[in-house]
Amino acid sequence: MAPDTRTISLTVNGQPHVAQVEPRRLLVDFLREDLGLPGTHIGCEHGVCGTCTVLLNGASIRSCITLAVQADGASIDTVEGLAQGGELHPLQDEFSEKQGLQCGFCTPGMLMRAREILAENPDPSPGQVREAIASNLCRCTGYQFITEAVISAAARMRASKEGVAP
Amino acid sequence: MKPPPFAYAAPDTVEEAVGLLTEHADAEPRVLAGGQSLIPLMNFRLAKPGYLVDLRNVAGLSGIRREGDVLVIGAMTRMAEVERSPEVAVAAPLVTEAVGLVAHVPVRNSGTVGGSLAHADPAAELPAVALALDADLVAAGPGGTRVIPAAAFFTGPYSTALAADEILTEIRLPVWPGGHAFTEFSRVHANFAVVAVAALVELDGDGDGDRIRRAALALAGVAPTPVRATAAERALAGAPADAATIRAAADAAATSLSPAGDLHASPETRRGLARTYLRRGIELAVARARNER
Amino acid sequence: MTAANQATPGAPPVRDHSASRRWVGQSIRRVEDPKFLLGRGGYIADRITPGTLHAAVLRSPFAHARIGRIETAAALAAPGVHAVITGREAAELCDPMPDFGPDPAKHTWRCLAAEKVRYVGEGVAVVVADSRYLAEDALELIEVEYEPLPPVTDPERALAAGSPLVHEALESNCAYERSFDFGDVERDFAEADVVIRDRLRWHRSGGQPLETVGAIAEYDQGTGSFTIDTNTLSFTSYLFMAAGTLKVPVNKLDIRPVPAGGSFGSKLFANKPAVIAGMCARKTGRRVAYLEDRSDNIANCDHHGSDRVYDVELAMMRDGTMRGLKIDVVDDYGAYIQFGVGHHGNALAQVVGPYTIGSVRYRVRAALTNKNQQGAYRGFGSEVNNWMLEQMVDKAARELGLDPVAVRRMNFIRDFPHFIPTGNVYDSGDYERVLDHALELARYDHWRDEQRRLREQGRHIGIGVITAQERSVFSATEFWFWFDEPGAPVTSTPESVSLKVDATGGITAVLYSCAFWGNSPETMVAQLVAEEFDCSPYDVSIVYHGSRDGLPATGPGGSRTTVMLAGAVEGASAKIKEKARRAAAHLLEIGPDDLEWSDGGFRVRGDPERKKTLGEIAIMLHLFKHSFPEDMESGLDASKVFDHPYTTMPSADRKDLGVFYPFVGHACHVPVVEVDIETGAVTFLNYAAVHDCGTLVNPRSLAGHIVGGTAQGIGTALYEEFVYDDDGQLLSSSFMDYLIPTAMEVPELTIGHVETPSPYTPHGIKGGGEGGRMMAPAAINAAVNDALAPLGVRLTELPMTPERILAALRAAGHAG
Repeated sequence: MAPDTRTISLTVNGQPHVAQVEPRRLLVDFLREDLGLPGTHIGCEHGVCGTCTVLLNGASIRSCITLAVQADGASIDTVEGLAQGGELHPLQDEFSEKQGLQCGFCTPGMLMRAREILAENPDPSPGQVREAIASNLCRCTGYQFITEAVISAAARMRASKEGVAP
Repeated sequence: MKPPPFAYAAPDTVEEAVGLLTEHADAEPRVLAGGQSLIPLMNFRLAKPGYLVDLRNVAGLSGIRREGDVLVIGAMTRMAEVERSPEVAVAAPLVTEAVGLVAHVPVRNSGTVGGSLAHADPAAELPAVALALDADLVAAGPGGTRVIPAAAFFTGPYSTALAADEILTEIRLPVWPGGHAFTEFSRVHANFAVVAVAALVELDGDGDGDRIRRAALALAGVAPTPVRATAAERALAGAPADAATIRAAADAAATSLSPAGDLHASPETRRGLARTYLRRGIELAVARARNER
Repeated sequence: MTAANQATPGAPPVRDHSASRRWVGQSIRRVEDPKFLLGRGGYIADRITPGTLHAAVLRSPFAHARIGRIETAAALAAPGVHAVITGREAAELCDPMPDFGPDPAKHTWRCLAAEKVRYVGEGVAVVVADSRYLAEDALELIEVEYEPLPPVTDPERALAAGSPLVHEALESNCAYERSFDFGDVERDFAEADVVIRDRLRWHRSGGQPLETVGAIAEYDQGTGSFTIDTNTLSFTSYLFMAAGTLKVPVNKLDIRPVPAGGSFGSKLFANKPAVIAGMCARKTGRRVAYLEDRSDNIANCDHHGSDRVYDVELAMMRDGTMRGLKIDVVDDYGAYIQFGVGHHGNALAQVVGPYTIGSVRYRVRAALTNKNQQGAYRGFGSEVNNWMLEQMVDKAARELGLDPVAVRRMNFIRDFPHFIPTGNVYDSGDYERVLDHALELARYDHWRDEQRRLREQGRHIGIGVITAQERSVFSATEFWFWFDEPGAPVTSTPESVSLKVDATGGITAVLYSCAFWGNSPETMVAQLVAEEFDCSPYDVSIVYHGSRDGLPATGPGGSRTTVMLAGAVEGASAKIKEKARRAAAHLLEIGPDDLEWSDGGFRVRGDPERKKTLGEIAIMLHLFKHSFPEDMESGLDASKVFDHPYTTMPSADRKDLGVFYPFVGHACHVPVVEVDIETGAVTFLNYAAVHDCGTLVNPRSLAGHIVGGTAQGIGTALYEEFVYDDDGQLLSSSFMDYLIPTAMEVPELTIGHVETPSPYTPHGIKGGGEGGRMMAPAAINAAVNDALAPLGVRLTELPMTPERILAALRAAGHAG
């Protein structure tokens, strides 16, 4: 007896997709397995650690406690969409420059959350960054170099917006 | 930790949603709002609804509006929208402050006001706010709509007065003239509250605000449901708005509590936290009431 | 420093570290980063191919119970299910798990419980299905008859007569007991002016990396071979044990490492998922993935941390001189004891801390209880000793009316190498320099002034100053010197690297049993190779090799990796250069001794224009055999199996355990905290940390580990605990209750580095990856106690939760 499925239409990293999913299928599994985008990771599957963070219509969500059917009609951004044309996004580049990653497992979720943070506040203080990334656990870095990376990336992103060389 | 299978529908109207809940009553149907509380339970397989009615497409359940002295928030309004709303900040700053303490931004982006109220976690912020403000919760069922006062809404841990085939459609919050404070103690930033206090204080119109006209105090995390500290409220009504009075009211309120203990806090610690946060909350509400003069 | 110049028996030669370095010491960007930043990390869960089946384990809801009938028919008939294996069937398909515990016949640890369960969460059956979703559906259809038995959850009660027995055949819950005397304990205690006593309790926490353990296994029926991809670590040298469990010859098991999303010890030798996946693959004839989820991992990871009760006495003179230590420790190991009491070897490696304490009595009792077993957690048991000792030093200072900083300073070891009473050696150090730098970075005097000022306002500010050791590079002896007649007195803990120079001069380094898990082995090796060959680290290719045909290697643990990889790289590089020198000599028609290595090649001494680059030499060796003498083989590659450079054997009477952890770093942490005595909340006002782990390969990388380790230490000190109730139920069974610090719980650290090189290692490197967590719990406890001292309150139990702080305040008459 085949399980009941639903058709969902959504855009992921700018690409439109139409798919059949079981209602119970978690968005994180849909992204990783059905769309072949394993960059979003699973840490806890109960919505606490933030490892699975993606953007839905520009807002961060926890894809391990979101059903794929809840993303019908939405535009999703994952880490795979960050680098453009072979160039790292300033956040990715600064994470490397500042060593804001060690094992890399929390990194995709942290990058997507950082993207949201900077979209809302392009010039945050270190304290504001720290409070904002408290939504995402990291077990390796102790958050210090992540905070530095986000601040540096913010400066570069402001500069490029103003047409000034970073 | 994958959820068990369930049948699913995403209806377009309240009537359809209610109809589905009635029709599939035998399947233990649940309403899906933001899913931030329900889906983790399903991932743990602690909740196994046979039917999930998703409200995401139902028209008219989302939105914030002012009706005179009442702030009306649609049940499916995302907490993030409430948090950012200038209208809420003016009409019910207690709500703004409390919503900002609900978990983290990603949870508030998906989570809804109605979902939090209907989930009725004894330690949750919004039920305590609803109780403090004497809110009315509007429910739609097969027999039509009805208004349930907050005082009657929360019936036990994770248990409300909603029937199995009713859905919450909106919450109506009276505007409170005065100072507010929502404070809570959690062990780790933005984690669930061990104890939370919603404090509302209206100061006397005459003089420099030396006396309290009335207060509304609600606590979460200290009982099977959020509770009003009615004895403390009575003690404060008409009393001087000074540290000694506030301390005495907080002490009396805390002493009357019989909280349960868990791995995070014993009953004695919860009583102590209630005392501390009542005192701090009332003091902050008084200070804010004075600043508005 | 006379000791360093004299030959020490068993010690390797003292090295000259005077050469300048180009790549070692640079905080370059890590070579590993790009794939992780792009979301292409290739973790185990990313390697599911179409058609891979998924396993899910049914876990016991009881802490202690006999297993009766198990009904699996309904589960087997469920959609998508390919197999159901119960614990009893698993006991036929597999031998017990490898462990270093007591008598394997009496302490039997299996991948699934067969006759009885010994902790909540122990697996009793496994389902294999088309998806994890379907496997979990089928788990709910399995019916297990349990006959509950009374559980035992307190270690001291477990050791008492009449306690329920975790392993009946052992006839006791004491898996190990022994008391050691090092030095003249009785004399030191008799001559002491005062004996400081205390009872201290450290509750278990654990690594809990964000990625759990997982394995994907295939079994080839034709060859009888297993191929298993897994993120667990440490294979080549100990692989035969896992092969034995799967009942195949060692050369029929290939375990291939994949990047791990963190470990902190918890992926060390975590073979159970690999065994379960392998067993299921063989049973179904299909590729099977077993990926723990968080519920699986928290209750069943087999890597809970130390869980100790200490009764300690510190013998002191009135002027603050420390004389001797008597330590009586009960360690709650849980239901199994896979690493024996190796955690206490870690304690004994640095049991006296940085102090000239002359004698130690160490009594250890390993208690078995109905909890998940201990494994490895950053520090591996030495961090607990650091905490205990520093608590005692602070208590002594208080009782004697002495300044806690002065007491430490006056007892510092100053001459190196220094042998401590247990026999282990501290190779080098400059503890005063670390302390002075830390106090300066911490603005210690300013914060003492602030403390006075804020105390007058009724605030409770505390400053902790702790000075402690971070040992690195363990020897195998620490697992067996506990026994006068050990069954397996192993002495090998090697690490291997192969270097291959291709025809264009490009270098590839092959690592064995050294998968990436958040440390940066690729960056370390790339920098070390670049240092040897004057190339760019980013031009070095790194390959992780599977175990079957891999060279001997022990893998990470005890902060050994960078030192051991450095030794292996150094050895392999020397062999390459030796052959390249002879080849260059041939090509340049000059004697090999007339050549010197410079700037990426060999040149004639005194005639630098006559030279051959590595690339020029390599292409000749690869393609032009006839240009060289007969005894010179084509190609340019070499391997080095680098054995532990400094291990000595314990004495027969075990009064001297020998040298087993010789490269010992040191650190000083100075946190400033405020305690809210109404809520028990602890917040940081400042935090300075200075570490000395010898020469640093990549200072930024080490700093990252210090911050991350300190963050975990904050968790251990204030938030994290695996809490079991009296029925053995794990109350902290999810991240909602097992509280991992967020960015708001971890302050910004001011970090300082001091480098006193090891005289014995390449470049003078010492291990430093564990250091942050080895210091922070001690430092934070010290700070909290300093804050509460005016109230007569002292915390002696970790974590210092609000509940424990408030309870202590209430007990001292301060209402919350």
